[in-house]
Amino acid sequence: MTGPLAALPDEELSVLDLADRLLNRGVVITGEATISVAGVDLVYLGLNVILTAVETIAQREARTR
Amino acid sequence: MTRLFAHAITRRATGGPLVGLRGKPLEQITGGELGLWATRWDGEPTLSRDDAFAHHDLVAVLCEAGPCLPVRFGTWLSDAGAVRRSLDADQERFTSAIDRLADRREVAVTLLWRDPSAVRPGPALPDPAGPRSTGRAFLERRRTAHATTDHRRREAEAIAVRLRRELGIGQPDVRHESCPSAEVALTMSLLARTDEADALKARATAAVAAIAGVRGVVSGPWPPYSFTEELERGHGG
Repeated sequence: MTGPLAALPDEELSVLDLADRLLNRGVVITGEATISVAGVDLVYLGLNVILTAVETIAQREARTR
Repeated sequence: MTRLFAHAITRRATGGPLVGLRGKPLEQITGGELGLWATRWDGEPTLSRDDAFAHHDLVAVLCEAGPCLPVRFGTWLSDAGAVRRSLDADQERFTSAIDRLADRREVAVTLLWRDPSAVRPGPALPDPAGPRSTGRAFLERRRTAHATTDHRRREAEAIAVRLRRELGIGQPDVRHESCPSAEVALTMSLLARTDEADALKARATAAVAAIAGVRGVVSGPWPPYSFTEELERGHGG
């Protein structure tokens, strides 16, 4: 394996998997709620799985503007 | 400025922890038969990685206490009135989801390709007379890339079907995504009764270990983050 995820131990992959779910899943409250992760330190999340989540959030925020 | 950072929705009578993120006050704001648990947050919010996992810990405690609907991380409401209006507006949807997820946990499966750069090109195009043009080379590269992606996606879908069959899980209790990135073959979420979740995790761990060409990691059990919304009609999930 050659990608950045391949170098991670299983425990860290589990953490990323959980972070992916926290950012991408869970019930969405419509109406007056806003979803924002502005200010979240995502530097360490430079991995594809998490980037997918971040991109989803960015797209959602762009749509609601 | 004070705002409310949402964690989970429960029945209004459900107990919970007393302290929210970073030691801030945790409140249950009720609307109808439901209550939304939220951290009261003064000042400009700057969330961190630790906040995300503290949110997870809070949701896990709430889900231990009773039927619970995890709220997506990063959800803010302006005040208790906004919470009540949101709960009232979606009372039926939330109640249905809480009932569906009562005493359920999620087991997560992630499969990484062992060789994400492997290329399986399609049949070669007929070679025209004369030197190969730049345009033709571009088209061939693009077709090869598409063929690889399509092959990988079919492979991942076949693995998803195989896993679901081997684990004996019905379609409503599975969510999956094939090839979300170049390295990841499959992410899959499995819903199980709380008292069966550890056994399911063990069976899933054994099942993914037997699949050639991928490295599998099975995680959880967690609160049922991936099952808070109903499957859309016709969605294979």
